[in-house]
Amino acid sequence: MKAAERIEIDRRYCKGCMLCQYVCKYEVFEPGQERSALDYLMPRPAKVEKCRVCRLCETHCPDMALVVVARGKGKEKE
Amino acid sequence: MNPLGEKYLRKNFLPFIFCPGCGDGMIIQAFLEAVDDLGIIDDLALAAGIGCSAWIPVYIHADVLKVLHGRAIPAAIGLKATRPSRKVVVFTGDGDGLAIGGNHLLHAARRNIDITVVVVNNQIYAMTGGQVAPSTQVGSRTQTTPYGNLEKPIDGCKVAIAAGATMVSRWSTAHPKALSGAFKKAMNHKGFSFVEVISQCPVQTGRYILGSGVPQFNLQWIKDHCVPIKDLSQMGEVEAQGKIPVGDFLRVEKPEFMEEVQRMNQRVQEERAKGGER
Repeated sequence: MKAAERIEIDRRYCKGCMLCQYVCKYEVFEPGQERSALDYLMPRPAKVEKCRVCRLCETHCPDMALVVVARGKGKEKE
Repeated sequence: MNPLGEKYLRKNFLPFIFCPGCGDGMIIQAFLEAVDDLGIIDDLALAAGIGCSAWIPVYIHADVLKVLHGRAIPAAIGLKATRPSRKVVVFTGDGDGLAIGGNHLLHAARRNIDITVVVVNNQIYAMTGGQVAPSTQVGSRTQTTPYGNLEKPIDGCKVAIAAGATMVSRWSTAHPKALSGAFKKAMNHKGFSFVEVISQCPVQTGRYILGSGVPQFNLQWIKDHCVPIKDLSQMGEVEAQGKIPVGDFLRVEKPEFMEEVQRMNQRVQEERAKGGER
């Protein structure tokens, strides 16, 4: 089964629309307390271990601020 | 930041000018995915008019032409005519492309010139403050129709098909993978291709027409209302009412305009070489 190593949210670009939380089927995200550089409250990838790397959040991020880094298997790691 | 963004965006222009939850950023991502798969960034020329969606090409690291309101398609035809090997894509909104530049759309489709027109439909003039647009649904309350809109909305895809476009698709921001596929097919297609994207605008459409400015609500509205044509054909008449069909509507092969021009040039030159003047 696919798993994510980490989910990066770029704090320079995030506008806190929370669409990532909305589209996620595995409830990985929750509203966070940290503010982005644009002064919006950012989502927090609280339960990364639940992520199955479907990348719905990545394709739905309107500010292209979100990246899901999959857990590497041999070749992918390089 | 998204690796596609690292590769293809102008970093000094970021962050995007779009409001939180706007669909235009998702369209940039879907478009860049198609460009990345085709590997055509060096041959790409983009044109845009005025509006929120006309900001889309500005962020992409390719040749960009930003022109008068509604006049992006003539500019794109010029780009194509000067170098036919170039892939030309026009980004336009529903007001820009279907109202103010509507005439240009008809005639570019009629000529079947090899350009791709992407119409981002958010059902309203969003940048100027939420006035009624040609694609606004009947009964919608906007800044200029405070008691409800009486005009029937225009269907961009049907207009393009009637005018003679050879590839017509409609997808939404709730279908990013299919949208990216449609961009890929449109750019590969030889002839006039038209892609309409139903996009959310939480700030104008959401607040004034749909009743909520929350991005999640707006995306759910699109998911509920944009139904693929296959599923729509199985629905009853009552159920299908008010739904927006999405899918690939048309793909036919017809002689392309610039190729015809080149053929004519060749023919005339041969005739002149044979028989002197005329």
